[in-house]
Amino acid sequence: MSHAVETATPGPDWTGLAKRAAILLVLLALIALFSGLSPFFFTVQNLTNVFVQNSYVIIAAVGLSFVMIAGGMDLSIGYQMSVVGVVTAVCMMWLGLPVPVSLVAGVLTGVGMGLINGLASITLRVHTLIITLGTMTVFQGASYIISRQSAILNLPLSFKFIGQGYILGGIPVSVVLMVISVAVASYILNVTAVGRMIYAIGGNEEAAYLSGIPVTRVKVLVYGLCGFFVSIAAIVLFARSGSAASSTGPGTEFTAMTAAVLGGISFKGGEGKMWGLVTGVLILGVLGNGMQLVGLNTYAQYIVKGLVLLAAVGFDTYQKSSRGRGR
Amino acid sequence: MSGRDESEHPVLLALEHIGKTYPGVVALDDVSVDFRRGEVHALLGENGAGKSTLIKTISGAIRPDGGRILIDGRSLDHLTPPAARRLGIEVIYQEFNLVPTLTVAENVCLGEYDGWRADFAAYRRKCAALMADLEVDIAPDTLVRDLPSAGQQLVEIAKALAKSPRLLIMDEPTAPLSLSEVETLFRIVRKIRDQGTSVVYISHRLDEIFDLSDRVTVLRDGRYIATRRTADTDRDELIALMVGRTLLETYPPKAHAPGEVALELKALAGNGNEAMSFALRQGEIVGVAGLIGAGRTELAKLIVGAASRDGGVMELHGRPVRFHSPRDAIAAGVGLIPENRKEEGCFLGQSIRWNVSIAALRRVLGRFGIRSNIEVDLAERYFRMLRIKAPGIETAVVTLSGGNQQKVVIAKTLASEARVLIFDEPTRGIDVGARGEIYKLMVDLAAQGIAILMITSDMEELLGMSDRILVLHEGRMTGLLPRADCSQEKIMALASGLTGN
Repeated sequence: MSHAVETATPGPDWTGLAKRAAILLVLLALIALFSGLSPFFFTVQNLTNVFVQNSYVIIAAVGLSFVMIAGGMDLSIGYQMSVVGVVTAVCMMWLGLPVPVSLVAGVLTGVGMGLINGLASITLRVHTLIITLGTMTVFQGASYIISRQSAILNLPLSFKFIGQGYILGGIPVSVVLMVISVAVASYILNVTAVGRMIYAIGGNEEAAYLSGIPVTRVKVLVYGLCGFFVSIAAIVLFARSGSAASSTGPGTEFTAMTAAVLGGISFKGGEGKMWGLVTGVLILGVLGNGMQLVGLNTYAQYIVKGLVLLAAVGFDTYQKSSRGRGR
Repeated sequence: MSGRDESEHPVLLALEHIGKTYPGVVALDDVSVDFRRGEVHALLGENGAGKSTLIKTISGAIRPDGGRILIDGRSLDHLTPPAARRLGIEVIYQEFNLVPTLTVAENVCLGEYDGWRADFAAYRRKCAALMADLEVDIAPDTLVRDLPSAGQQLVEIAKALAKSPRLLIMDEPTAPLSLSEVETLFRIVRKIRDQGTSVVYISHRLDEIFDLSDRVTVLRDGRYIATRRTADTDRDELIALMVGRTLLETYPPKAHAPGEVALELKALAGNGNEAMSFALRQGEIVGVAGLIGAGRTELAKLIVGAASRDGGVMELHGRPVRFHSPRDAIAAGVGLIPENRKEEGCFLGQSIRWNVSIAALRRVLGRFGIRSNIEVDLAERYFRMLRIKAPGIETAVVTLSGGNQQKVVIAKTLASEARVLIFDEPTRGIDVGARGEIYKLMVDLAAQGIAILMITSDMEELLGMSDRILVLHEGRMTGLLPRADCSQEKIMALASGLTGN
């Protein structure tokens, strides 16, 4: 039967492909640029660094992208990470629980916070931007109460291994976790019925409801999934830093959001792919790393990153509106 | 209005040989019309006949490719919306152009800034005077968002009249109005006409055109067909001019008898509707008639469980069912093809394949998720069965015409294995050719034993397609008649609540 499809579809959609690949071309151009500007950029050591530094961002962005594809937003993921990190650390260091148990406790806390967001969004029926602005503040308070405003130092070696260790002859554990997260998310979004429903709700919630999709259940699930991936991200981040403080994590939400939008995950929902998201994070990562090597300071980097986001969004809108006018 | 003789009235605005072509579509082809002072001139035509393009030409929103526009005999080139405004041309569009968070007075005087200061007291005075003049009871300080849609429509009209237009264009102004509100509107229109304003009136409702207009111009497929004095024409002639063929050809014949009862409502009430009882048989098409606000869409949503019921029972194939959401309804084989295709029916950004399978995911699921070969087969089957015109099943729905988008929504519902279908305005916004195909499809489905409830505001469609006709009035059932017993007048009387049943 696939034969019939091939005959029914005209040749490949080159313009569409070029548009979708544009983001990839930007990444390649940046890599080429920085390779030319700095002899240290295009080395195995440095590129591995880029991946290791950004693996937690990618995992958190994977969580956020579920919410965004379903048409929602989650501002609270930064403080969710903060809470998951300190809960895990408190379990290990103050309660003396074994590392695996602490990890499970951390992940369950993350999923729980996601479910709170999900339930709040279906009961309060205001935009999730507002809801998560509220829960973000709640999680912030919770995190500082749990950590007693102190930094918990000297986390166990076996925990730090997740963020700093290598397996299979030199592959960073955090990168492995990142690849698994992206693969699992791709599978959920592209192959499962739930994935279809997530796109459907983000694309047209009313039509999704009338098409028999259990909208409220899927929405709660989406926030639960977000919480899950965000807690993995938190564990990677805290394990890399080796200590736990409530100030670790916040800020990630904006990086993740920026990367998602760069990677073609629309604010309106209903569209977006994992490879685009990964490309988006890597663009930000390469920009940061490259500019550092070239000698630009952090603040200059902010300006460039902001401008790149605006350019990407502007390009996208321009593409869409010119397509609309043509018809 | 048939007694008026407006032929003496001078021509205000004339269009001569106007043409407008969009890529792939001729929107207007050599159209010449004139509008006189003090007349109500109706524009009539199917969707896509070119009425909107014509209005936009007059209001300066689009520039025609050819032809001339004359006002008071002077030719205008480069007509822009501000220039049209200065010449006294006002348009009341189908969609509201009000700011909901501002007051009625502020909306009515929107855009009238004299100097840097907004003179709210003057706005209020002007608005109050205007409302009194229209004999409408709307307080100037009311927020527009607090008004019902009929009130908002009146504010739109007041806003247009505040500019003292010489030519007022009204695009389907009665769509959000109830019968008594329509009377108010007509009174206002007649009043401004008698004051010498030229009114261009667009409506699909023929009875309104006969009630109100002095002349009527028919467009079809972007071409000028004819202008008639309303007093000298009749409904059949206008329909023939509009459709370009006689009515009977449009509707496919039905050659089967209805079977067993599929869906039965027993005193079902809810979603603003009082208790209703009727039975829908397999292979039967029951038309649902009623004016705006009669509760037709509400009934549809109530049946599929998108609204909660207040009382009563529903039986499907003889067994009582209770749908808590459309999900339950679909699982039981009851599907809704909603009124607003783009907002409620399909997923515009996704492909035809994706849309067809979204309500039928359980049919394409394997152990590890969606089996793409099964999904492709399913989509191909309905793609061919409904003769969707597109390059293939991977085509994005947003690129399809209205008729083909509607077919995608129907395919989606059929793929979910529905045996009872509720069509809400199945041909709204669909051109004549595609309409015929949708009709044929509905009759074919009925022949396969599918029970169809068809909500429609189109009287010809109602009479042409239905086996029986259910009439609603303000949330009540006022009649359920076999088609043979139906006349347009009888349905209108029942829909207006003039006779009980």
